[in-house]
Amino acid sequence: MKIENKSIREINSLFQKKELKPSEFYHKIFDNTAQSESVIHAHLKLFEEENRNKAVQSDERFAKDQSLGLLDGIPIAIKDNINIKGYQTTCSSKMLSEYVSPYNATVINKLDQQQTIFTGKTNLDEFAMGSSTENSAYGLTKNPWNTECVPGGSSGGSAASVAARSSIAALGSDTGGSIRQPAAFCGLVGYKPTYGTVSRFGLIAFASSLDQIGPITKYVDDARILYNSIKGYDSKDATSITDEQIKIPSDKTAKVGVIKELMEEGISDDAKKEVEKVINILKAQGVEVIEVSLPLIKLAISIYYLIAPAECSANLARFDGVRYGLRVEGKTSYEMMEKTRAEGFGSEVKRRILLGTYALSAGYFDAYYGKALLARKNMIDEFNKIFNQVDYLISPTTPTAAFKAGEKTSNPLEMYMSDLCTIPANLAGLPSISVPTGLSKEKLPLGVQVMSKALTDDSLLDFAELIEKEVSFNDEPSDWIK
Amino acid sequence: MSNEFDIDDVSKLASIELEESEKEKLSKDLSVILDHVKALSELEFEISVDEVFIHPLEKKLNLQEDVVEEFLTHEEALSNAPESKDGKFVVPPSLE
Repeated sequence: MKIENKSIREINSLFQKKELKPSEFYHKIFDNTAQSESVIHAHLKLFEEENRNKAVQSDERFAKDQSLGLLDGIPIAIKDNINIKGYQTTCSSKMLSEYVSPYNATVINKLDQQQTIFTGKTNLDEFAMGSSTENSAYGLTKNPWNTECVPGGSSGGSAASVAARSSIAALGSDTGGSIRQPAAFCGLVGYKPTYGTVSRFGLIAFASSLDQIGPITKYVDDARILYNSIKGYDSKDATSITDEQIKIPSDKTAKVGVIKELMEEGISDDAKKEVEKVINILKAQGVEVIEVSLPLIKLAISIYYLIAPAECSANLARFDGVRYGLRVEGKTSYEMMEKTRAEGFGSEVKRRILLGTYALSAGYFDAYYGKALLARKNMIDEFNKIFNQVDYLISPTTPTAAFKAGEKTSNPLEMYMSDLCTIPANLAGLPSISVPTGLSKEKLPLGVQVMSKALTDDSLLDFAELIEKEVSFNDEPSDWIK
Repeated sequence: MSNEFDIDDVSKLASIELEESEKEKLSKDLSVILDHVKALSELEFEISVDEVFIHPLEKKLNLQEDVVEEFLTHEEALSNAPESKDGKFVVPPSLE
């Protein structure tokens, strides 16, 4: 097995046994990046020089058997909406082209405690709004499986970086599927933890009741290692929680529900086949699998496209040309703000700010945002009832495999539909993981999504690992090696 | 609900100046989206908005004690400002 295909635990073991030095490994990863980056463009910035020193320091710790944890010396890519002190955080927006973060996100402080190597900052849809990374102000990222296709989004750069072996894992953020959808499109594991278990402090906010940071990795165990390293209560995040994990069965005694509404219209045959394959594997293991119905899931896109834009319109009001970011001069403060926001935001961001502003405006609040809040609450109740019957819910992660660049850019609603299966977990705050299971007819990867009730992350990861083991998806991308 | 979407009004509320060509495109896009969410706006629910938590796990938000903590220095807080003077943000006049 190629060294860059190994799991974090395996690489750490080679470091521990002194069969491989972190600096040698970093150079190998950087060589991959040098080859792939001109084609894939996963990163907006690479931290090569400082990382060479950091890797040597890691060598010294392992030589003295004083390593700082499983992630010591492991190259991890960071989505460019997560602050690293002293570095730019652009959110792929012209608005923040010059912004240098004066502080670390809590997740960065946590990874720093283990001296994880941050390979660089990865491309995304502007302010994490999009499903293809085509909304970046800094160019397209290509899918390493087929460079004519998008890597998904909004964490498309993070997924493409791991798929092209430019990093061993990456952090992304997931507001409606932005970790799981690109992971599925790039043949990787994407994991959105229970809302509130990972601090959002230092993540540039898009929709605060939905945003969650999580890992994109090659293996479920890698996602577990990253999650265990970044989770924990943080007083700097008002939505952070202290609750203990709840244990549910994660072996063949588990009970699984297949969501009927996510196996119907709008889902490709290829995506359905992957779910059916997993159902058969689970049944062969002795797991009980039943069909379940969550009628309100059909409204998830509508609920989401009122709540997320409403929260985004409030969160992005801070970009006013005064405290940070772009300023376009105007005669008055108000004119300066209008011109700055016109110049600094791309069209998808404007679309969502306007939609959210409208949904929150006087006379429309009750009919739009208010109704969306009520429908969300009812959907959460539906999930809670279903979790009295089953331990896990499965569905496709995405309705189709990766689509071609440009295919959906002129039709926003069609683009929004690519998050059909992933949005419900954000609305309900549930942990949800996408596991790569196979390839479509076009030889593009597909994933199966598993969700469980809030605070059962540890069990969910165990159960996902069982599926991963039985499916044994070993394909890897090669389209960029030309 | 009909979609009486006034792009001039909403862009003013959102403080975003729009070009004429943008107005046309965005109005069209937003009408399509609002049409899609129409079914939701017509539903009736037995609960009221006051009973809904913003936290999806139905938790109360953590409030911090009002205690001064060292975090950013004055200089750091101003370091990204487009214009600052004497430790303050500088903005154009509010009135012409």
